[in-house]
Amino acid sequence: MDHPSAERMRGLEQSAKVMLGFGALEARERWTRVGLVLTLAAFCAVLSLLSPRFLTSSNLINVVRQASINGIIAVGMTLVILTGGIDLSVGSVLAFTGVVAASLVTAGQPSALAMVSALILGSLLGMLNGAAVAYLRIPPFIATLGMMTVARGLALSYTQGRPITGFPESFRWLGAGWIGPLPVPILVMALVFGLGGFLLSYTVFGERLLAIGNNPAAARATGIPLRQHLVLTYGLSGFLAALAGLILIGRLDSAPPTLGVGYEFDAIAAVVIGGTRLSGGEGWLGGTLIGALIIGVLNNGINLLNIPSFYEQVFKGGVIAAALLLHRALRRE
Amino acid sequence: MRGLRDFLGRWSGGLVLLALWLALTLMTPRFLTPSNLLNVALQSSILAVVALGMTLTIISGGIDLSVGSVVAFTGALTAGLMVRNSWPVGGAILVGLAAGLAMGLLNGALVIYGRLVPFIATLSTMAIARGLTLVYTRGYPISGLPEAFTFLGTGDVLGIPMPVLVMMAVAAGISLLLNHTPWGLHLYAVGGGEDLAWLSGVRVKRIKGLVYGMSGLLAGLGGILLTARLWSAQPNVGIGLELEAIAASVLGGASLSGGYGSVRGTLVGALVMGTVGNGLNLLEVPSYHQQIIKGLIFILAVGLDQLLKTGPLSARSIPMRRRGAS
Repeated sequence: MDHPSAERMRGLEQSAKVMLGFGALEARERWTRVGLVLTLAAFCAVLSLLSPRFLTSSNLINVVRQASINGIIAVGMTLVILTGGIDLSVGSVLAFTGVVAASLVTAGQPSALAMVSALILGSLLGMLNGAAVAYLRIPPFIATLGMMTVARGLALSYTQGRPITGFPESFRWLGAGWIGPLPVPILVMALVFGLGGFLLSYTVFGERLLAIGNNPAAARATGIPLRQHLVLTYGLSGFLAALAGLILIGRLDSAPPTLGVGYEFDAIAAVVIGGTRLSGGEGWLGGTLIGALIIGVLNNGINLLNIPSFYEQVFKGGVIAAALLLHRALRRE
Repeated sequence: MRGLRDFLGRWSGGLVLLALWLALTLMTPRFLTPSNLLNVALQSSILAVVALGMTLTIISGGIDLSVGSVVAFTGALTAGLMVRNSWPVGGAILVGLAAGLAMGLLNGALVIYGRLVPFIATLSTMAIARGLTLVYTRGYPISGLPEAFTFLGTGDVLGIPMPVLVMMAVAAGISLLLNHTPWGLHLYAVGGGEDLAWLSGVRVKRIKGLVYGMSGLLAGLGGILLTARLWSAQPNVGIGLELEAIAASVLGGASLSGGYGSVRGTLVGALVMGTVGNGLNLLEVPSYHQQIIKGLIFILAVGLDQLLKTGPLSARSIPMRRRGAS
């Protein structure tokens, strides 16, 4: 709860922003972005001091490759959160689309067909989420929570709980292939972030997403087709979860139905660490990338330092909470 | 028309419960027997204890995702103290409850002083408490609990199982708190609009801190009851319990945007969830399919609830914002 005078200060700041044409706020926003990059740098610095293996090119490529799956999911999550919603179903959608693609390809279908089917299925599941939010008016949290349970159940009953393994080379390329010196997942992530950034900054759709998140009633009043945009946004999130799933099962050469449990946590953490406001309307896709990298470095550090897996969750939960608290503190003052 | 809608909105949870019971009675003769109904009450009561804490956080406009992990942590801690350190039952229970309270107060501190969104704050403590449980148990269940302790979960007084008795006591206490004390009024005020509540002199921070503390305490109590009922503390217990607790609250009329929710509604909601679980088992639905059906029921129930409460579809009231998110 803020003191009223703090409230008034913010009002003054707003008017200053209007009078000076971006002013104090912009500068502070720039500082939080610098702070974010510094946080990533600090994490890297600490780790390279603690472990000589961290700062090798093979390990760094490894970090980014591992972060790419979370990064790709987090792009969809950013879009959804910008509209003021949330998508808790990404991990389960990833698992269900993954096992469907895996079963198609092991049944002798061409890899491309299996991949396209997974991507379409993911988009459809996402659009169902969007429809539940936009047409049935179920809160996003509840709608995607239900989808999380349903899609996980579908994945488990589809495979009877057993993993599907043994994929052809062409199916694994997305997760395990290389183009020149760089792994394919890193390139896919770069592409997804590039397209996502373009979508947000240079298209009407992106402009409207921010408007919806800022003030849905006003957005509707200005004639934005709210429902279609929501369905499309959640559809994109499902599509990207499926894409991340294809990369993951390609790398693992196996598709267990328990794939991706808890991935929504990492994706939301990446988005929020990256400075996107959870209530929507304000965010920065570059921040999400840095957030995903911070979590990737954290995971890598847990591995390099041989931290026992039991401590992993305590450590991760603690560090993420600390990062968010720091971010909040930097942002307020 | 408005009167009908008010009636439906108010009693939608109860109507869903009646419809479920009717359907199950028609589908299997084993549902409507005294022993099975007692079973349903037993299954629902532990969920109800946890869900009542959840309801308090939801009324305040927040949420507590950490309850499932807190259930596991307090259960493991209580069992560990008794089995590994041969503590007396009462002492171990007190420490377990204190641990639950502490986790809840940590949530409260993160929300109030850290200014984190409740969703994010409790998501972090969910990971932390689960991790602490794994560290403490090293991934193995703790069993060999004393008889005096397991009585809490498996014993009965005058034919009423202990968990049901505990649930009734908790429900009575919270009902008293919500409906007959200024604190309850202030809590609804905070959920209805924090700024206005603050301006009217409500101590918003104190209320919110207490709410998360109580949610942690009740999750701790739930963990102790569950451990006693299972005769052992499992490190993986309570995964997904937060979803069931939220579902019970929302089915019971609590609004995720804060300001609404009641003890009676949440009890009905917990009974719905318990009945669904019981019915799926009686009908011998495979466990993988149970998950799909539970998820669908969850979405449909909330969708129906939304429909009954707000009337014909219009885009105007699309619930876009989670309260406390800004």
